[in-house]
Amino acid sequence: MTPPTPPPGPRIRLTGTPMGRMVRIAEFGDEIDPLQREQLHAYGLSGSHPVRVLQQQPMTVVLSEHVELALEHAVARHVWVEPA
Amino acid sequence: MSSLAATAPLTHTLALVGHPNVGKSVLFHRLTGTYVNVSNYPGTTVEVARAVPRHDRSASLLDTPGVLALPARSDDERATMRALLNEDMRTLIQVGDAKNMRRTLNLTALLAELGVPMVMALNMTDEAKARGVSVDVAALGEVLGVPVVPTVATGGEGIARLTEAFAQAAVPAPLLRYDASLEQEIEHIAALLAEHAPHPRLAARGLAILLIGRDPEVDAWLAAQSGGAPVREAVAQLTAAVGRDTAPARLARERNAGAETLARTVTRHADAGDRSLALLAGRVAVHRLWGWPMVLGVLYAVYLFVGYFGADVLVGLLEEDFFGEVLNPAVTALVEQSVPIPWLSDLLVGEYGLWTMGMTYALALILPIVTTFFLAFGILEDSGYFARLSVIANRMFAAIGLNGRAVLPMVLGLGCVTMATLTTRILHTRRERLITTYLMALAIPCSAQLGVVLGLLGGISFGATVIWTAAIVCVLLFTGWLASKVISGKRIPLVTELPPMRMPVLGNVLKKTGGRLKWYLVEVIPLFLLGTLIMFVLDRVGALPWIISAGEPLVTGWLGLPAEASAAFVMGFLRRDFGATGLFVLQDQLDMVQAVVGMVTLTLFVPCVASLMMIIKEQGLRIAATMLAMIVPTAFLVGGVLNFVLRLFF
Repeated sequence: MTPPTPPPGPRIRLTGTPMGRMVRIAEFGDEIDPLQREQLHAYGLSGSHPVRVLQQQPMTVVLSEHVELALEHAVARHVWVEPA
Repeated sequence: MSSLAATAPLTHTLALVGHPNVGKSVLFHRLTGTYVNVSNYPGTTVEVARAVPRHDRSASLLDTPGVLALPARSDDERATMRALLNEDMRTLIQVGDAKNMRRTLNLTALLAELGVPMVMALNMTDEAKARGVSVDVAALGEVLGVPVVPTVATGGEGIARLTEAFAQAAVPAPLLRYDASLEQEIEHIAALLAEHAPHPRLAARGLAILLIGRDPEVDAWLAAQSGGAPVREAVAQLTAAVGRDTAPARLARERNAGAETLARTVTRHADAGDRSLALLAGRVAVHRLWGWPMVLGVLYAVYLFVGYFGADVLVGLLEEDFFGEVLNPAVTALVEQSVPIPWLSDLLVGEYGLWTMGMTYALALILPIVTTFFLAFGILEDSGYFARLSVIANRMFAAIGLNGRAVLPMVLGLGCVTMATLTTRILHTRRERLITTYLMALAIPCSAQLGVVLGLLGGISFGATVIWTAAIVCVLLFTGWLASKVISGKRIPLVTELPPMRMPVLGNVLKKTGGRLKWYLVEVIPLFLLGTLIMFVLDRVGALPWIISAGEPLVTGWLGLPAEASAAFVMGFLRRDFGATGLFVLQDQLDMVQAVVGMVTLTLFVPCVASLMMIIKEQGLRIAATMLAMIVPTAFLVGGVLNFVLRLFF
């Protein structure tokens, strides 16, 4: 028997996440261009993997599996995250 | 080494494939002995390079541009895909990043479907270890069914084992099964491909996945096949859906999940507590407060090294003391004694002599400057600082319709605008490439010219250098803003990887500097000699005084320069740095305003012949001609306005 899916936790924008916090990517908003969404997947940003927020200014920088990724706020604000 | 044409002849080929900045070019150098430019930022390789590997002199090894993901989306990814399609590919060597197995295996999941024997070089194992990451190489090799060899390409570790492993290269086991509906679609397209347009090397299944993922290169290859039409029709029906859950998106998501699962199985993470100086420097470089002081600090250090040590100390020693006091008097005496024909003697050692002007400018004035510049540039390149600069500069670039990624070609343009024009391929849209190319052609001085500028203005005052910098930055921003309004298309927000900051390897910096100096000497000396010859002929036939007189209203009246500066502009048509050197030798006749106005005008002057050829290659003749038609008037307009403004204050 498969375990029941847990109810979704509170989701916030990646740009609203405090520095140092570990989060999981919940969803990419529709505002993100399909090609850019592919790019984010290719960089390894996916639902099941936690990322650490390193800084928010001048760009959002996250650490995903020992690789630092910088996201402009125009993209990061449409990335929805939940606590890891 | 040679670049690969779009349809290269089929030869027995091995190819290094992998993500950007994972060490493919270093491995290429280790495996072939052929040096290609290596740097610590993504996008260094924009064209496929080829050389004969040491272990098999009958084969050829390709160094492909980094692919973030396949299906191909960017120009460099398309170049890699073309190589995979057009070469007689016998072995793929996937270069993986040991500290990020999930991403590495994401690409493996696609490469494995191509049916080409493969070996994995698991590179940067030193960096992975420093971060507490260990990979069970044996287990990974078992699952994939291919040899997996840990390497540290920069230190030469694992290269011998990797070479031995080529003999055991095997077709990898597929990493995952897609969901039932996707599998059905893949099988359908693969069956059509096998029937109507089989590829001589690549598996139909892999090509089907790429086609469903809308890979433009595979589609172009298919369009060129006589039996390709029914396959393309079937693909078009499958990929007609729009929205967020398209077939390409589902394929990418499932590959990601498969890679994630395998990465978890073979990777162990321990808290290594990585608090190195490099990590700290990396954080400071993109810090919202400390990032800009660091930019200014780096610029000032470069100014001291190139502008003071190179352009003042070294040029003083070489040009004044050695060439001026020893070499040129000796050469002049020798020529005057042994060449009885006056005009020929004059051609060699006269005012516009091939030795006294052409070779002296190239060797005594420019060479020390470009040497120090290339050294400083190589150190910054290898440190990984340039990629971080794109974060700091992103907001400024947003104002001109670009994103911080455009920093890389522009900074590279400070080394050589010609090569940097090629690097604009790392930009994602044609609009970005067009704006960046134009701005580089207009306002980015190459290393030689920059050195001469720093040498002349630095000798006058630091303030003169600051005014020149401010003027060029203002022109860059205003022109970029204007171009972004005129050229249609939307701006792409920046998403970029920040490679780790590393201590530059001295050997690599020296090797790069040596390679660039060789290029400089080969390209610049003939042009300087040609320029000198033109000046000599113009002087002899009496045209130079006429040009100087004809240019007087513009040069003397509008720009406020001495009449002799007209000659510098004539020289500048060949190379801007040649023209700048012409102004440099007039420094005793120039006040601060004249020096700044002259150098600003020459910086904005026509791009050199080599750059122009590259712009034609990348953007086409019509666009190159339009750029040229806009650049020359802009240079004189800005120079004249600056002369007027500065005269109000000085």
